[in-house]
Amino acid sequence: MARTTPIHTPALKYILACLVSTALLFSDVSYQAFSPLRDSVQAIGIYSQLFFETITSRLLEYSSAYEDQRTLTRLNNQLRDELQEIDDKLFLEEQSHLITNDIINLQDRLQILGDPGEGKVLKIASFSLQDYLCCSQHILHLQNPLQFPILIHQPVAVDETFIGQTSKTYLNLIEITLFSDTSHVLPVKIDGLHCNARGAGKPRLVRCIVAGEFKMSDIQEASLVMTSGLGGVFPKGVIIGKVLSISAISINEFRVDIALDGNPLDHNYFGILSGS
Amino acid sequence: MKFTSHLFIFVTIFSGFWLDSLIAEFNIRSYILALESFPYLVETSLGFLILCYWIYAIPEKIQSSAAFFYGLLIDLCFGSAIGFNMLFFSGISYVIHVYVFRFRIFSYLQLIIFFAGSSTFYVACKYLIFSPENYSYLLLLCSFLINALLWLPIYFCMRSLRRSFL
Repeated sequence: MARTTPIHTPALKYILACLVSTALLFSDVSYQAFSPLRDSVQAIGIYSQLFFETITSRLLEYSSAYEDQRTLTRLNNQLRDELQEIDDKLFLEEQSHLITNDIINLQDRLQILGDPGEGKVLKIASFSLQDYLCCSQHILHLQNPLQFPILIHQPVAVDETFIGQTSKTYLNLIEITLFSDTSHVLPVKIDGLHCNARGAGKPRLVRCIVAGEFKMSDIQEASLVMTSGLGGVFPKGVIIGKVLSISAISINEFRVDIALDGNPLDHNYFGILSGS
Repeated sequence: MKFTSHLFIFVTIFSGFWLDSLIAEFNIRSYILALESFPYLVETSLGFLILCYWIYAIPEKIQSSAAFFYGLLIDLCFGSAIGFNMLFFSGISYVIHVYVFRFRIFSYLQLIIFFAGSSTFYVACKYLIFSPENYSYLLLLCSFLINALLWLPIYFCMRSLRRSFL
């Protein structure tokens, strides 16, 4: 409530206000004196209302357009995800088909390589690429989840050639020593020359040191190198590579570098011959 | 009084008149067929009652000039004849200023009767000046009852607003 209430109200101001109001009212009602002013104010009001309605409708249009765009974007994303999923499924099916084909081919080749039918195709578990590219130890591990009875010193094949032999089995893993491992020695035959090819410690490279009655001229570069079967591990007559280079070591000795055909880096599945 | 206070008071009065126009535009007879033959009897004076409250509550701040200008602005904004609301705002302002001490000792019922009567007089004059063919005592009686019912809600609502913002 008011803190200071007027104790005297001068009537003059009110009388004056009432007189002015009455005069204005009379002139407006009788002669429409303020009709233009009133109409202008009403026009402004209507214009403002229309303006705000237009702004509101445009905002709503933008909002609905934005919503449509969002819906379309969401639909587009959804379709893209579905397409990606279909692509992934097709890719996986294709890969699965390829792997199946690889396994079947590998099993067929194992039989060609002399496997009596008990050969196993196993997937790679790990491969020390660093050692393979730099050092002497070239070891590959295969998975054996079903724990097939795999013996050691069994030939390991890819494509139509061998790459190494089993050296250990433990737990669910099988260790493969590749031909290029410096501890591995493979008896080979080159154009009638028999020699023991020792791993060079370099990828896909083995070396034979030849001494005695054979001469360097007896061997040609790019000659095929086959297994001799003399080691009792590999069947004879399987091509494992080609002669890369021949170089003299001393008067009676020369070295034959052999490039191996089988590349362990190109494969995920490897076949192990059994019973040979 | 500050300009913002005057603006606040004018906004409340403007809102009252705007509600009056909304209520007048809402013709319930078009929604209920049974009432179609009845004459239009709903005539509220929310804006006028709100002005009355402000003059009653803070008479020292709303003088003749303030009432005069409020009336002018309302006339302009709502398209009524220039001078009508100015005249009644100035008149009711004078009456309330003169009898403000008596109103302070009035009961709520007496206040209701006085302000409902004032607003009915306002409605009656409006009909007599602008629409004499629709003038009826039944309309005035209904207007009196409606405004009587509206006074207390307006009184407490405006008092709450005054205590919050002024």
